[in-house]
Amino acid sequence: MTLSHAAHVPSPARPRRLPAGLAAVTPAFALVAVVFVLPVLALLLRSVLEPEPGLQNYAAFFASTTYLKVLGNTFLVAATVTVATVLLGFPVAWFLAIAPGFWSRLLFAVVILSMWTNLLARTYAWMVLLQRTGLINRTLMNLGLISEPLPLINNLVGVTIGMTYIMLPFMILPLHATIRSIDPSVFQAASLCGASRWQAFTRVMLPLTATGIAAGALMVFVMSLGYFITPALLGGTSNMMLAELIAQLVQSLLDWGLAGAAALVLLVVTLAIYAVQLRFFGFGQARS
Amino acid sequence: MTCFLDIRGITKSFGKVAAVSDVSLEIARGEFMTFLGPSGSGKSTTLYMIAGFFDPSAGDIRLEGRSILREPSNRRNIGMVFQRYTLFPHLSVAENVAFPLRVRRRPAAEIARKVEQMLALVRLEGFADRMPAQLSGGQQQRVALARALAYDPPLLLMDEPLSALDKKLREEIQVEIRRIHRETGVTILYVTHDQEEALSLSDRVALFNHGRIEQVGKGRDLYEAPRTRFVAGFVGHSNFLDCTIAAHAGERADIVLPDGSRLPELPIDRQAPVGAAARLMIRPDRLRISSPAGADAPAGIDAVLSDATFIGETFHFALTTAWGGALNVRMPSHTLPPAGHGVGQRVRLSWAPGDARLFAE
Ligand SMILES: Nc1ncnc2c1ncn2[C@@H]1O[C@H](COP(=O)(O)OP(=O)(O)OP(=O)(O)O)[C@@H](O)[C@H]1O
Ligand SMILES: [Mg+2]
Repeated sequence: MTLSHAAHVPSPARPRRLPAGLAAVTPAFALVAVVFVLPVLALLLRSVLEPEPGLQNYAAFFASTTYLKVLGNTFLVAATVTVATVLLGFPVAWFLAIAPGFWSRLLFAVVILSMWTNLLARTYAWMVLLQRTGLINRTLMNLGLISEPLPLINNLVGVTIGMTYIMLPFMILPLHATIRSIDPSVFQAASLCGASRWQAFTRVMLPLTATGIAAGALMVFVMSLGYFITPALLGGTSNMMLAELIAQLVQSLLDWGLAGAAALVLLVVTLAIYAVQLRFFGFGQARS
Repeated sequence: MTCFLDIRGITKSFGKVAAVSDVSLEIARGEFMTFLGPSGSGKSTTLYMIAGFFDPSAGDIRLEGRSILREPSNRRNIGMVFQRYTLFPHLSVAENVAFPLRVRRRPAAEIARKVEQMLALVRLEGFADRMPAQLSGGQQQRVALARALAYDPPLLLMDEPLSALDKKLREEIQVEIRRIHRETGVTILYVTHDQEEALSLSDRVALFNHGRIEQVGKGRDLYEAPRTRFVAGFVGHSNFLDCTIAAHAGERADIVLPDGSRLPELPIDRQAPVGAAARLMIRPDRLRISSPAGADAPAGIDAVLSDATFIGETFHFALTTAWGGALNVRMPSHTLPPAGHGVGQRVRLSWAPGDARLFAE
């Protein structure tokens, strides 16, 4: 059973006609067409036309264990980051929704400010923290918990840590909106009905926030799939992600055809995930 | 003998504000008790302390002889219907009613049987598969009632469950609640600020004001023998006239009205010195209108009729005393003299002994 059932109030059938306000969104549509659809089409064409017409770029991509490993890395990191942001973001979103005014405003400001801080600055800050001689390794060694520095940078661990931090707000904000839309007396009712805290969480809180979790997870997963800067700075050369691979194919190898094929694979996967999400959680129903 | 629910001197302060101060109340098994009072008088806070959402700052609450303050609300086994709609929006009507049984891990067959029984009790047999969003407000509160009774709690709390509904629906569900109370024998604590609802539903009423209980008793007692001026003003309609104590003897006092006329031996709520200000209270339906001062005129107050309104079964009269005091009289239409009473007419207002009461200021 999904939430969309609960949210659907039967509405009378509406006659089909052009939605009002179409004119107002035309410029935006035009912009999307010029800066998104056309380049994607161009890339798609190059992937099947260069160096000669055919699907050889796609064949090459899927035949190469290196490229498949990059694809696997990309999914692994995106999935780990998504799970980590759900686990870390849920308590934060919950606290934001129930904490008294001052604390919730303070935490909200921290979340928003970190989002507004320059991405490069934040990623370099993580480099400082994660280095062999960085704050984290030094602290752990001073505490005597480790004798050798942990390899936290130039690998997928570093990428995952950095991206989890950068993606957290994209999980917290939709989740917070969902949690805040729940009437807290529903939990009082659950408690008087005999539900323990855990039962209230699994039987009431989780189902009621499922749409918010799904919206946040989709956002984080899809953004992570194509992320470039953080993997480029915190990752290693031996374990690339797909965006890095595409950049390298274009910039160093000038292989536009293969780059296009890789980009298209990424786009198709993204659209497929979006379709699954729509199927299970409906459209735009994060706040029912 | 211990009573079923024993509330002993509970107090709840939020910061410096005492929302509830020193409330004590004994409730018998199977009783229907209503908390009545103006907004902010501490009714909900008292109920929430019984439910376990607030811890009292002082005092104790005992259910069947055992203090329940240590137990979290999910172990108190108390049912509650809230003012706002609190059905679980992601669960069907049947699953909402089944929820308390599922968290108690009851066998499936028992749950199915109980859900059916509860939906029959609230007369929503055909609605098992509906979602809460597809129900009217009245239907949602009935489901909430079914959910609250599904685990046979010995005590049911209701915090203004009907206040969001229109008058007709409210009266309809009031009848249902009375029937359910009769059929299940559950003890009910019901909060409302609608006195008609309180009087029509309950065995006894506890009238709250400023976090304290002003008076507890049958609705009739509160109406006939209000112990304080607040009770007299809150329950039923009342006339209040300013007056001065002229003599005091035991529980009765003589008074002087502003025009100098003296009324002897009226019951007074507490001791007050001669010369102190007081209020004379008489219910509008206990005043009788007769022709003014003659040899056979009864003792009472002279006034001028300033307005007369016919409201079907009753006539409402507005009167003004010589010193400008306002009074209202209601009388059944059939008791009026055929000629009626005309606006501007001078009349004498009288009453039976015991219908007028004094409240010291
Ligand atoms: N959580 C709270 N924090 C601070 N003050 C509160 C809180 N809950 C209630 N109060 C205060 O306690 C007093 C009693 O409130 P309560 O809700 O018990 O009144 P009530 O009799 O139920 O009124 P109503 O008929 O409006 O529901 C009010 O002055 C209210 O402002
Ligand atoms: Mg209240």
